Amino acid sequence: MDPSQAPVENYANPNTCLFHVLFKGAALAFYILSALFFNSFVIIFVVTVLLAALDFWVVKNVSGRILVGLRWWNEINDLGESVWKFESLDQESLARMNKKDSWLFWWTLYLAAAAWLILGVFSLIRFQADYLLVVGVCLSLNVANIIGFTKCKKDAKKQFQQFASQTIASRFQSTVQSAFTLV
Amino acid sequence: MSHNDTIPLYQSSQSDIDEIENMMNGGGFQSGPGTVLPARPPSPTRPSIPVSSSSSPFVQSNLPPPPPSSSSSASQKVTPVPAPPSLPPSVNFGSSEGSKTTGFGSPPNTLTEPVWDTVKRDLCRIVSNLKLVVFPNPNREDPGKALRDWDLWGPFFFIVFLGLTLSWSASVKKSEVFAVAFALLAAGAVILTLNVLLLGGHIIFFQSLSLLGYCLFPLDVGAVICMLKDNVILKMIVVTVTLAWSSWAAYPFMSAAVNPRRKALALYPVFLMYVSVGFLIIAID
Repeated sequence: MDPSQAPVENYANPNTCLFHVLFKGAALAFYILSALFFNSFVIIFVVTVLLAALDFWVVKNVSGRILVGLRWWNEINDLGESVWKFESLDQESLARMNKKDSWLFWWTLYLAAAAWLILGVFSLIRFQADYLLVVGVCLSLNVANIIGFTKCKKDAKKQFQQFASQTIASRFQSTVQSAFTLV
Repeated sequence: MSHNDTIPLYQSSQSDIDEIENMMNGGGFQSGPGTVLPARPPSPTRPSIPVSSSSSPFVQSNLPPPPPSSSSSASQKVTPVPAPPSLPPSVNFGSSEGSKTTGFGSPPNTLTEPVWDTVKRDLCRIVSNLKLVVFPNPNREDPGKALRDWDLWGPFFFIVFLGLTLSWSASVKKSEVFAVAFALLAAGAVILTLNVLLLGGHIIFFQSLSLLGYCLFPLDVGAVICMLKDNVILKMIVVTVTLAWSSWAAYPFMSAAVNPRRKALALYPVFLMYVSVGFLIIAID
């Protein structure tokens, strides 16, 4: 790991960052360049969707945890209802996260979604329904991750505010009580 | 005084309150190490907020002091990359193995576990879901129990595999066959789920998608057999058997989800979809 040097900080988790970008880039590159090499739609579809699915898994389970300390998932509780759960590290650990890592995380997420959107528009213009299918699948995987992590971040802020006010209230209460015992 | 519903955030404040209570309760008790304190749940050694799924869905976990092995866990990822993982992992706090939290006494949380553990957990879930859905199982009557931890990776791989098998068996128009098979199955699963929801049934969208995908496994097996042996009679027998198996697997879940009078309305489209896939398998040459 690179040591952090003031004022410029290096990436704290270069391997994770690499993988985070690798699969996204590979899926986009394969989709764009494959028309030059492969005639078969099946191979393009399967490889692109596979890379996109791997990217989804990596972002959701690995780089989300390591780069920004967030995680989201869905559970079915005992009543048979589906519950979305959001998890994050506590505030000190979140503050300790590398800024460059989280910048990379969020920006590549948004850029990849935008790129798929543009490619989707192209295939729509060319009336290629099967390529639209590929783009649709990849776009939905990216958007799912974006929505999940954005919700996680918002909930983290809200929860921290609640926790902070709770902490202050209980501290105040205990101070007052100990003041009364001393009197 | 009930301590059971308070969250002891700081141990020092709680012990102050306890001392005050002891003094109030009677002079006979002496506060000290030999005293029997009123029973209260053991406070965690550091502040933590328990998970409550009814109020807020949010969970905070603590990162252990700087994890030196985070980069090594990232490099462990290189091997599990080709493995099929699952889409949304459900967290079982007690059962996540190999967690890196040190001896703080808190439950292991999945936020800091090594990558390989995540992969293993997801793989095990796919296998257990498959066994639950497709093979005979005592819990089948309750749809809430079946596929409790749904995942979409199993269905994804089964659909792609079926498409690939059909496309391989086809001698012409391979791409169209694959695209048709994939789109038919994916859109079909979504539409069937919407059908049940519109009939007033109670199912969870993703759980149903997951179930319909897992029930494709017998048809996958049938497609592979048909690909290997090209005899028409054999194909028809194999497809009929696997079709019956798929329908049998999907039946309890779908029928339990709707009103009994509308059972046929919910089940007929499912059967129709599997029959059409069966015809695709037979007709490919």
